[in-house]
Amino acid sequence: MDALIVIFLSGLLSLFVAFAKKPILVLLTACAGLITAAILLMNQWNNPYSLFDYKGLEFTHTSISYSLIAILFAFLAILAGFKSFKEQPDHVGDYIGLFLFSLTGALCMVSFTDLFMFFLGLEIMSIPIYVLAGTAKKDVRSSEAALKYFLTGSFATGILLFGIAWVYGATGTFDVNELASVINMEDTHSSLLYVGVLLILSSFLFKVGAAPFHFWSPDVYSGSPSVVTGFMAAVVKLGAFGAFIKLFTVCFPALHDFWSPALVILAILTMFVGNLSALSQTTFKRLLAYSSITHVGYALLTILTQSPESESNLIFYLFSYGFSVIALITIAMIINDEQDRLEAFKGLAKRNPILGFVAVLALLSLAGVPPLVGFFGKYLVFSTAISEYPTLVIIAIINSGIGIYYYLKTVITVVSKDELPESNAKLSVTGIQWFVLAVCSFGLLFGGFFVSCI
Amino acid sequence: MELLLIPFLFALVSLVVPSNFVRQFSLLGGIVSLIVTIGHLCSFDTNTFVSILDPSFITSFGLTCKMGYDGMSLFMVLLTNVITFLIILSNYNRDLASNRSFTALVFFMQLGLLGVFTSFDGLLFYIFWEITLIPVFLIALWYGGSDRKQALIKFFIYTFIGSLAMLLSLMAIKSYAKSFSHSDLMAVELTAKSAFWIFGGFFLAFAIKIPLFPFHTWQPNTYTTSPMAGTMLLSALMLKMALYGMIRWLIPLAPEALSDVTYPVVVLGIIGVVYAGILAIKQNDIKRLFAFASISHVGLIAAGAILYSHDNWSAVFIQMANHSLVAVGLFLSADIIEQRLGSRKLSDLGGIAKQAPRFAIMFGALVLAAISVPFSSGFIGEFMLLKGVYSYNWLIGFVAGTTLIVGAVYTLRAYQLSMYGAPKSTPFADLTWNEWLAYLIIMVTIVVFGVYPQAIIDFLSPSIDSLIESVKTINTLHK
Repeated sequence: MDALIVIFLSGLLSLFVAFAKKPILVLLTACAGLITAAILLMNQWNNPYSLFDYKGLEFTHTSISYSLIAILFAFLAILAGFKSFKEQPDHVGDYIGLFLFSLTGALCMVSFTDLFMFFLGLEIMSIPIYVLAGTAKKDVRSSEAALKYFLTGSFATGILLFGIAWVYGATGTFDVNELASVINMEDTHSSLLYVGVLLILSSFLFKVGAAPFHFWSPDVYSGSPSVVTGFMAAVVKLGAFGAFIKLFTVCFPALHDFWSPALVILAILTMFVGNLSALSQTTFKRLLAYSSITHVGYALLTILTQSPESESNLIFYLFSYGFSVIALITIAMIINDEQDRLEAFKGLAKRNPILGFVAVLALLSLAGVPPLVGFFGKYLVFSTAISEYPTLVIIAIINSGIGIYYYLKTVITVVSKDELPESNAKLSVTGIQWFVLAVCSFGLLFGGFFVSCI
Repeated sequence: MELLLIPFLFALVSLVVPSNFVRQFSLLGGIVSLIVTIGHLCSFDTNTFVSILDPSFITSFGLTCKMGYDGMSLFMVLLTNVITFLIILSNYNRDLASNRSFTALVFFMQLGLLGVFTSFDGLLFYIFWEITLIPVFLIALWYGGSDRKQALIKFFIYTFIGSLAMLLSLMAIKSYAKSFSHSDLMAVELTAKSAFWIFGGFFLAFAIKIPLFPFHTWQPNTYTTSPMAGTMLLSALMLKMALYGMIRWLIPLAPEALSDVTYPVVVLGIIGVVYAGILAIKQNDIKRLFAFASISHVGLIAAGAILYSHDNWSAVFIQMANHSLVAVGLFLSADIIEQRLGSRKLSDLGGIAKQAPRFAIMFGALVLAAISVPFSSGFIGEFMLLKGVYSYNWLIGFVAGTTLIVGAVYTLRAYQLSMYGAPKSTPFADLTWNEWLAYLIIMVTIVVFGVYPQAIIDFLSPSIDSLIESVKTINTLHK
């Protein structure tokens, strides 16, 4: 709870610090807030005492892990985007503040014990992103992305609220633990509950961008400014998945037989839709969007398998995914191609070998090539699911096989020596961006060692 | 541990050494690895298992990181280091040798291969298995010939899908075992049906890498477009990972499936022998010809590996060593021809023997080794393998025996068309010292083991016996 307040306050503070017209001060405020929050959370790991307490939020080991990872990725995303914030010096405070507010929402979403808090968290997380998606004001696609995301997102929120109402109608409580005990006690459930669960499930699938609720995500991903795309893929998804698995493994496991068939079919659909659409993409962020849809399909496996490890597997999976996304987004920002074409990556390894190396690491990690962290994430998810859903794992493996095609093609674009880069202009990389890339490559290379920590 | 650390360090350092020193540096790396391996060899007792990494912890998902070597593994380690040294040596006077990233990639490849041969943990084996894919892919992509991109995408996707199938099998068998260590996985009791599927996953990975008919379609194009060192790594070492994997992992892990699958695997292997042999006769590109020859030879080795018995497995190892040495030699010859004449087409070649007598002698000796004349190690290996296949099924053995004839036809044809006849080309520079030395080492080794193969057989015997023994006890226990 303390951490949450610290993040919120540092967001608020950075809005005011921005009046000093010194972007670096805003960044420092935000970083200080994030680091303090992370330290507070780590402190809470062994020592549950905190200054402020609210029973709607509960910081267990699981939610602390989620929160720490969310803070790490938000930190990296803000650092990576700092250069582009500076281009509009009047708005640096707004950007960074909005990111921090969104992060606050994400933290609520992974630590709620009350459906009401959960709903609030979702809104706090989403609304800043609606705004951020449209911050490239001169770019029509950015406005399109913001509007699309806002309209579809608020529709999904409405459905979620509707679902929560039905669940409340059936059980008479908002509290997650009470909800679980009420549902577990009854042998037959009222049909109100089933309707409610279905509505909640659909709005979740919308938020994480699973097929057939994925149509917004390619447009929003490609239209938004790159740093927002990175934040959405790494942090927003993490928050949504954190809430998703909590609700469905704590509250509704008794209804597993009811919702799992739907989720199995949608997981298969999600993997195929993401992969097959990604095969023919020519722009980078759309490729990333479709590949992230596929990754959502893999991650859904953890929600289906009701084993004790599935929660930690999901955390590790999202952890492994975030590094790749942030590294790639940072590189895309450095290349800074107007139309965001994949060809802009041509000969990257020649123009700047280190950037090329990081890009290859990130792509191979997404494809799941050992010993990179993405392999361990995928391995954990698949190996836990294999005893319960062998067919689904086989389908997921087939999809990894399809996926290698477009990752490999991109890798070849990056490393190929006979395709000359389009421009030989030197890529300027700031120190902060090097730092982000260094952290990401460290995570990609050695993240596998953290498997046993989580 | 230093076995793996040396290539790793050399790989890292070679990225920063001054570029006029790179070739000496890479040669030094090859020699150091070789010396260290020989040191291990001298202090090795064939009956024992030497552990090089055995952390006491097991990660939550069962990775034990056990590494070590017994006779078979050490043999493969030695082979890897000898072949890597030969590859570096034969590359020594090429332009590529002074390329830093190329040198680093070769050492990374060596690291991956050594890891594969010394892993005694299923997941670790898989990780090293995948690591080897990246350097060889980059070598071929960066330094390969024309039209390589399509061939390489095909190669990568093919092998990656095979590996995924292996990963699936590993996960499936792990769900019955408490960790990934070799002994734990071996102890798993499988029903015939699940054994069949687990066997299938591993087999797909190995069959693609070897490659067995009908999974071989990536191979000729990839071999042809890769630079010499890449082709050598692929044929002399990378496919040995799969043959070794069949012996170390496939058969011990799922012996329950053997009664169902032996026959089809042997048949596939022998189809490859005959089919690729016939295709090789028709080839005009000399490198492509050797690529098909390679498919033809390894088909027989794979058939021998699946027919597990002490003699067959000894023969498999002898033949693996022989095939590696011969492959390095043949691809070196093809590259020498291409480098000096700018063409690999048999129709453009002729009369080289008159212009470069030393090359002709060495190439001729290699050709004789490739068709397994007596007193070459290939003779012993091929004879033992054919005997094994013959005693399994005389008809298949008979068909497999045609390899001796077909092999002689395509190899001698290549030799005759390129070496004899009227010279068709500009002067042909004879061998340089490093090529000469590489040929010499290859020939001496082949002849030594051709005359005294018992050295290899005795060296491997205890470890093969103990592996076969444990497979048998598991099989009888479960029945």
